Amino acid sequence: MEHIAIIGGGGTAAALAHDLILRGFSVAIYERGEFFSGATGRHHGLLHSGARYAVHDPEAARECIEENMILRRLAPQAMEQNEGLFVALDDEDMAYRQRLKDACAAASIPTRDYTPEQARRLEPGLTDGVLAAMQVPDATFDAWRLALPFLATARAGGATAHNFTEVVGIDVRDGAVRGLRLRGLTEDADGSRGREWSAPADLVVNAAGAWAGKVAALAGVHVPIQPGPGVLVAIEGRVTNMVVNRMRKASEGDIIVPQRRLSVLGTSMWLTDDPDHLDIPPDHVERMVRLCSEMVPACAGAPIRSAWSAARPLIGNAGAARPQEISRTFDCYDHGARDNVSGLLSIIGGKGMTLRAMAEKTADIICRLTGRDAPCRTRETPLLPARAFYRS
Amino acid sequence: MSDAAKTAPETPAATPESAPAPRQPRTLTVRVQRSGPGGSNARFDDFRLPVRPEDSVLDVLDRIRVETDPTLVYRHSCHHSSCGTCAMRINGRERLACITPMLALGADVVTLEPLRSLPVLGDLMVDMRPMFAHIDPDWGYVRPVERASTGVPHGVARYTRLENCIECGACMSACPVSNGTDDTPPPEPRRGGQDGAHPAASQAAGQPARDQEAPAAPQGSGFMGPAPLAALNRELARQPERREELLHIGKGPHGERHCRRHLACSRACPSGVYPAKDIMDIRMMHGGGKD
Repeated sequence: MEHIAIIGGGGTAAALAHDLILRGFSVAIYERGEFFSGATGRHHGLLHSGARYAVHDPEAARECIEENMILRRLAPQAMEQNEGLFVALDDEDMAYRQRLKDACAAASIPTRDYTPEQARRLEPGLTDGVLAAMQVPDATFDAWRLALPFLATARAGGATAHNFTEVVGIDVRDGAVRGLRLRGLTEDADGSRGREWSAPADLVVNAAGAWAGKVAALAGVHVPIQPGPGVLVAIEGRVTNMVVNRMRKASEGDIIVPQRRLSVLGTSMWLTDDPDHLDIPPDHVERMVRLCSEMVPACAGAPIRSAWSAARPLIGNAGAARPQEISRTFDCYDHGARDNVSGLLSIIGGKGMTLRAMAEKTADIICRLTGRDAPCRTRETPLLPARAFYRS
Repeated sequence: MSDAAKTAPETPAATPESAPAPRQPRTLTVRVQRSGPGGSNARFDDFRLPVRPEDSVLDVLDRIRVETDPTLVYRHSCHHSSCGTCAMRINGRERLACITPMLALGADVVTLEPLRSLPVLGDLMVDMRPMFAHIDPDWGYVRPVERASTGVPHGVARYTRLENCIECGACMSACPVSNGTDDTPPPEPRRGGQDGAHPAASQAAGQPARDQEAPAAPQGSGFMGPAPLAALNRELARQPERREELLHIGKGPHGERHCRRHLACSRACPSGVYPAKDIMDIRMMHGGGKD
């Protein structure tokens, strides 16, 4: 049984561990901090229908709608399945409406039109300036409790998962990866910290998200990762039950995601090379609240519960006109074929909610590389509930 | 303003103190408990750094970890009070680091310690397993929304939402019975033969097997703690047909009988849950094979 070491403890790593266990591999995850403490946990919690991407990024849109339907079935206790609305507030929004509708149809995303009166019956908090509304199958999820079932199920199946364990080296000899050099960050009983040890592996997967570039550098290879942080704001009170999107091309302050007794407003975007230093610029916070209050006026008066930043793991793309138009799809690199470092893969790009699909694609490649004939079973295999993590 | 905002019940408190947030950065001392597993070699490390008005305690911890000490161990994930991983004691009170503005504490020295009642794994990180040992993984986590809506979208029977309890452990730490600081005298035996002072004595009454096999309660108090009972009361609302089975657990040897009505759990909750009320609900209910 080949032993696969996964670097990073985000949603992709958890889903990959689950997938690989089902296909008969031995698996270990190594994460520098707490699980899901990078971009995964900081997600706004929108279970995308894909409509947000349908016009400019149809591949990501199709991935979203497919995974949307699968995750609803796999983790219903991590979700508020109340659908979403796109709302048009001005002529420019109305001009975008037909493009959006056509693009959704092309991506197999079901839509339903509402008059302003119908929309305000569904969501009385909407501005009375709504000109048109369209229902899409959006939902809300709890990012921690969507990812945790994958990790719980993988561990119950025999995977080991090590948080607060940093990968400080990738052992490459004769053009092949042999294992990892690790450092423990917690204190040992004898009072020492930073103990280092080696762990052999037949194959290593770099699933470090926005940190994938730093991890790849440990093996002397390059991946085109482009961390793209953004600010999110949680306000007190549930201003709507449905997710509310602005009916225009992807931009800042175009999404309201209700969750529990909060509403999450997002999102800004800039590009950085350092995902460890994420500012939360106060002017971005102010802008998210102002733009979202155009859709739901109550956003403006609500106390702010939290503002935070998360670094999207974008695939570098110099061709995109704006950061928002960089594709949100994902890719898996075999560094044996690309860089003559065999036994090393990097999975980059993607979104919080495409964790299962990213895992499937990566595990398919691992099966090909190891000559194992085992189909993906994560679409239909039930997941343990999130709380089972603490018993696995 | 929407109906939701007008009628949202007991909006959880974001800022523990009502003092206006200072506008300028201030340099202050963050005093962090450091230790190994089980709290071995516990001591405090001081970090002195400038703090901006918008910085949460979690933002400051992140900065210390990235810029000064990468071995600083604390849990965090969502940064907006949904995941429940960053509960800790901040100047002696249980709070979520992510929604506690550092300067609003109004202190020159901010002391950070791990939660009580749960075993310390290192620094500010505790082991949550003793709490989850008493929360059945299969209990639900979704509930109907409170407000009656004027309509629902196509395909939705009723608006639903996630539970309030984020299972952060703040109530477990604050509870004097769980954390070992309770000094109230044992209660008088109650009618019906339930003797709160001697949980083991009631086991002959035929507890369900899973209750007897539950792992040790936090720090050996015998009490499962407030959070599992709050979760149990929510499950009772969701699954009334399972009332007898659930009350067996709630009224069992690790259950409500240990509560001394300190109400510290409800005061500590960062998420607007009132576990003390849930515990009283369970105490007042008939059933569970005891009444």
